[in-house]
Amino acid sequence: MKVNPELIDEIKKYGAFDISACFNCGNCTAVCPLSKEDSSFPRKLIRAGHVGMEDKISSAIEPWHCYYCGECSATCPREAQPGEYMMALRRYLIAKYDITGLSKIFYKNGWLQTWLALGMLAAFYWLYSSYTGDFGALAGKIELAFPVYVTIALGGYVLNMYRYAIVKPLGGIKASLKPAHIYETLVHGFTQKNFNGCEETDWTRWIAHLLVMSGYVLTLLISNLHLLSPLDKHYGAFGPVSLLVWYAGLAILVGGGIMSLRRMFKSAESSKFSHPSDWLFVVTMFLIGASLLFTHYLNVAYGPQDPLLAKVYRLNIAIETVWILLIVPFTKWIHIFFRPLAVYFQHVKKEAEAGTAFTLNIGAAK
Amino acid sequence: MDEKITEASSKDNYRQEPKVGVYVCHCGGNISDIIDVKAVAAALAKYPGVTVAREYAFMCSSNGQDLIAEDIKNLGINRTVVAACSPSLHELTFRNVLQRAGVNPYLHEHINIREQASWVHKLDHAGATAKAIRLAQAGVEKVKRKDPLNAIRVAAEPRVAVIGGGVAGMRAALSAAGKGLEAVIIEKGPGLGGKLLGLGKMYPSGEEGPAIAGKLEALVRADKKITVHTGADIDFVGGFVGNFKINFKNADGTSAQVKAGAIIMATGYQHYKPAQGEFGYGEDANVVTLPEFISLMKNSPAGRLEYSGKEIKSLALIHCVGSRQVEGVHKPQADGKINDYCSRTCCSSALYAANQVKDKYPGVRIYDVYRDIRTYGMQHEEYYDKASKDGVLFLRHNETDQPVVTSDRTGHTVKVKDVLTWGEELEVKADLVVLVTGMMPADISLIRSQMKMPIGADRFLQEVHLKLRPVEMANSGIFIAGTAQYPMDVPEVMAAAGTAAAKAAILLAEPDIPLEPFVAVVDEHKCTGCGLCPAECSYDGALMMAEKNGKKVAVVNPALCKGCGACVAVCPVRAINVAGWTLDQFDAMVEAIAKE
Ligand SMILES: Cc1cc2nc3c(=O)[nH]c(=O)nc-3n(C[C@H](O)[C@H](O)[C@H](O)COP(=O)(O)OP(=O)(O)OC[C@H]3O[C@@H](n4cnc5c(N)ncnc54)[C@H](O)[C@@H]3O)c2cc1C
Ligand code: SF4
Ligand code: SF4
Ligand code: SF4
Ligand code: SF4
Ligand code: SF4
Repeated sequence: MKVNPELIDEIKKYGAFDISACFNCGNCTAVCPLSKEDSSFPRKLIRAGHVGMEDKISSAIEPWHCYYCGECSATCPREAQPGEYMMALRRYLIAKYDITGLSKIFYKNGWLQTWLALGMLAAFYWLYSSYTGDFGALAGKIELAFPVYVTIALGGYVLNMYRYAIVKPLGGIKASLKPAHIYETLVHGFTQKNFNGCEETDWTRWIAHLLVMSGYVLTLLISNLHLLSPLDKHYGAFGPVSLLVWYAGLAILVGGGIMSLRRMFKSAESSKFSHPSDWLFVVTMFLIGASLLFTHYLNVAYGPQDPLLAKVYRLNIAIETVWILLIVPFTKWIHIFFRPLAVYFQHVKKEAEAGTAFTLNIGAAK
Repeated sequence: MDEKITEASSKDNYRQEPKVGVYVCHCGGNISDIIDVKAVAAALAKYPGVTVAREYAFMCSSNGQDLIAEDIKNLGINRTVVAACSPSLHELTFRNVLQRAGVNPYLHEHINIREQASWVHKLDHAGATAKAIRLAQAGVEKVKRKDPLNAIRVAAEPRVAVIGGGVAGMRAALSAAGKGLEAVIIEKGPGLGGKLLGLGKMYPSGEEGPAIAGKLEALVRADKKITVHTGADIDFVGGFVGNFKINFKNADGTSAQVKAGAIIMATGYQHYKPAQGEFGYGEDANVVTLPEFISLMKNSPAGRLEYSGKEIKSLALIHCVGSRQVEGVHKPQADGKINDYCSRTCCSSALYAANQVKDKYPGVRIYDVYRDIRTYGMQHEEYYDKASKDGVLFLRHNETDQPVVTSDRTGHTVKVKDVLTWGEELEVKADLVVLVTGMMPADISLIRSQMKMPIGADRFLQEVHLKLRPVEMANSGIFIAGTAQYPMDVPEVMAAAGTAAAKAAILLAEPDIPLEPFVAVVDEHKCTGCGLCPAECSYDGALMMAEKNGKKVAVVNPALCKGCGACVAVCPVRAINVAGWTLDQFDAMVEAIAKE
C-alpha cells in the first residue's frame, strides 16, 4: 500500500491537532471501555490515519461507538488526545456522508456557521415580522414542514453512511435481518446506552444529556405536531400541554446550562476541545428552550393578544427554523442517529464476514 | 629487563618460631547457627603450633580486630588464621590488622567456613563442624610455612601517553594535566578532533562538531604539560605498567619514542561504511549515510534542502544500518563477524537531524524506518517526541523483515513490512534515502596484538568489569577513554575520558607503583636451566632464561608476571613457585585435610 501522508493533514482540519504525537503504544485501546477485540480502536484508526488508509477511515464504524468519555486521552503518554481524534473522525465522516458539502465547509471554517446562523436568524425574524397575514396559521405550516426537511436531510446521510460503511468495503448491499440486531439498534437509538459503558460513568454529563435529550424530544413533539397555538388559544398554567412545555423548556435550560458550564470550565476530557459548532449547538438549544418558555409564560400570564407575545413567538419560530435548517443537519446533533446505525452496521459487517448476511446482488444476480 | 623494579627485603619476623593465633567467626549466626564454633576453636587450640584459638560474633568488627591485635601484643602471636567469610570480603581487613600490629601482613591466612561449610551443609551440622575444623587446620599448616612478603614497587614514568586525539583523547590529556601529570597525545591524523571535524550540528548543545573540537584543542594547545604529536604512525608499543614505550614515525618520516607510566587508549571508532549495493548504497547517488547527510545539510541553502543541485522534498531515514545485525539476515563484515551491537548514538543523532530538517524546511516529508527507537540519553526522548509532533512518520519493521529500497525514474521507494500497521506492506516515496549508519571499532590491530589487549564480542576494547572497573583494561596501566570502548556520544565520552585520566593519575601519584607480591620466584640453586617454563608463560617478558652468576636460569620480571602458576606446573625440580602459594604449602594443606 502506498503511504499517503496527506490524509492525516486533512483529518487534522477537523480537530485532533495533536494526533501526530501518537507513537503507537496502544494504551488508549487498552483503556477504552468500548473497544473490543473485533472492533479495536482508537490506535488502529490513528495508525490508519497516519499512513493514509483512506478507505479504512471512510468505511470506519468505530468512531460512532466512541462516546468521548476521554479515558484514552487522559491515559495517553504522548498527550496525543486520541479521544479528540475520534471526535475529529466523526466530523470527517459526517463531511464525507454529507452530499451538500456544507458540513465540510463549516467544520473547516470555525465561526462561519455561527455567523450564518445569526444572519439567518435575523433574516427569518424580519421575514416573519413583516408577514401581514395570520402568523399563527403560517407557523403551523412551517412547523409541519420541519419533519419533511429533516427526513430528507437525514435520509441522505444515512444512505451515504451505508454506502461508505457497508456497500463499498463489502462490495454489495448487505443487511442483517436478525431481530436481535434490529432490537439492539433500536434500544441504542432510544437510550444512547453506551454512554454508561465508559468505566467511570460521568453521571453529571449523563444527566445533562438525558435532560437535554428528553426536553428536546418533547419540544420536537410539541412543534412538529403543532400542539401549541399561542396566538390563538389561552392556556392554563397547569393544563396537560403546559406541563409538557414547562418540563421541556426547563430540562433544556438546566441540561444545556450544565453542559455549557462544563465546556466553559473544561472540567472533563470530552469538553477540553470545543469546535465552534459545538457551542452553536448548545447555545441554540438553549435559546429554543428559553424562547419556548418565555412564549408560553406570556400566553399563560397575559393571553394570546399580548403584543410582546407576538414578537417573542416569531423569534421562537425563527430560532426553530434556523435550528432545523442549519443546526440539525450540520452539527454534533446528528451523532445520535449515527450511533445506533453504527451498532447495526457492525453486526452487518460481522455477518458479512461470516457469510450469513442478507445480500442483495444487483446486476450480478443470475 | 628494567632495573627500576625493586623488591624491598624484609627484616621482619622471618624464621621466628611460628606462634599461630586462630580466630573463628560466628558471622552473626551465618556460621554459628550450623557450625559448633566453640568445638572448632577447642579443636584448633590443641593443634600443633597454635598458641591461642578463639571464637567471636563478628571478627571483622573493631572489637574483633582488637582481639587479634591484643593477642599479637600480649602473646607474641606472629601468624594468624581467621576462619570466617570469603577472603574476597575481608582478607584485606585482617592483613591490615597485622600490619598495624607490626607483623608482616602476608603472614595471615583467611579460611572460608561460611560459603564452603555452613552455607553448603545446612542440614549436616556435625559434618559442617568437622569440615570447618579440617579447613582451619589446613590454614594453620599453610600459615606456618609462609614467608613474609613485601609489595613489589615499580618506579614509574610520571607521564601518561594518550593514543588518539579525538575529543576523548583531548579530554583525557586535559584532565591528566589538570592533576599535575605530563600528557602526550599521539594522533595519527593531521589534526586534533577526530570524527567531530566531519560532523555538523550535534546534540545535545546544538554546537557544530568542529567548534566543540576547536574549543578543546585550544585548551590542549595552551596547556604546557601536554605535548601533541599529529601525523604519528605508531609502529611499536611495549613495556609494562610504569614503563611503557611507544615508538612512532612522524609525518616527516623521522622516528620518535614516548616513555610513559600509563597509556590511555582513545583511538575512537570508524563510521560504518555500507557494502556496495546495501540499500542501494554506492549504486544510487541518492542513497547516503547519516554522516554524509549531516554535512549535506550543513551546506544546503536556506529555504531549500538541496542535494547535488536538486531539491529534496521527501526523505526516508533507515535506522540500524551496520548495527544490530542479525545472523543469517545480514552479510558478515570482512572479519566474518556481524555487528550485532547497537551503536547507541545513531537514533538520537538521526532524529536530531530530522528535527533540524523540519525546523529549517518544514515542507519536507520525512519517513523514519526503524526497528526500535533507542533515544536513551538524558532528554533524548524529546527528539523523538518533537519529530513525531512535527509529523515525521515512523514505520517499524522487525529484525527479519528488512526494508527494501528500489529506484526508478520516478524516484526511490522504500518498502517496509510495518508492524505498527498490523504487518501491512507499506511503500513510501523519497527523493533521498539516508542510511543511519553506526560505529565500527577503529582498526588498531597492531597496538592490540603487541600489548595483547582484550576485545569484547563487539570487537571494541574491553574493560575489566563494566560496573566495577569501567575504564581499566586487564593490562595494568592501560585505560580506555571514549568510543574505543563502545559507542558513546560526546557527553559520555567526556565522562569516560575524565575517569580514565583520574585512574591514571591515581596510579602515577607516587614515584613508584606498588604491586601485589604474588609472583613467580625462582630458586636459582634448584633451577637446572632446562627452559621448560618460559614456553608455558602467556605473558610476554614475564619469564625468560638468562645467565646469572655464570649459570643459565629462569628469571621472572615481577612487574609482568601475573602469578598464574602455569610455569610452576611444568618445572620438573620444583624450582619455581608463586610467592604466597608455594607447592610446599599446598602439600601441607592437603595432608592436613586428608589425614586420618
Ligand atoms: C553519525 C554519527 C552522528 C553523531 N552525532 C553525535 C551528536 O550529535 N552528539 C554527540 O554527542 N555524539 C554524536 N556522535 C558520537 C560522536 O561522534 C563520538 O562520541 C565522538 O566522536 C567520539 O570521540 P572519540 O574521541 O572517542 O573518537 P574519535 O572521534 O573517533 O577520535 C579518535 C581519534 O583517534 C585517532 N586514532 C585512531 N587510531 C589511532 C592510532 N592507531 N594511532 C593514533 N591515533 C589513532 C583517530 O585518528 C581519531 O582522531 C555521532 C556519531 C555518529 C556515528
Ligand atoms: S495512547 Fe496515545 S501514544 Fe499510545 S497509541 Fe494511543 S494515542 Fe498513540
Ligand atoms: S473517548 Fe472513551 S470511548 Fe472514545 S475512544 Fe477514548 S476511551 Fe474509547
Ligand atoms: S542507536 Fe538506534 S539506529 Fe543506532 S544501532 Fe541502536 S537502535 Fe539502531
Ligand atoms: S606465574 Fe604465570 S605469569 Fe608468572 S611467570 Fe609463571 S607462567 Fe608467567
Ligand atoms: S622449568 Fe624449573 S628448572 Fe626449568 S628453567 Fe624453569 S624453573 Fe628452571
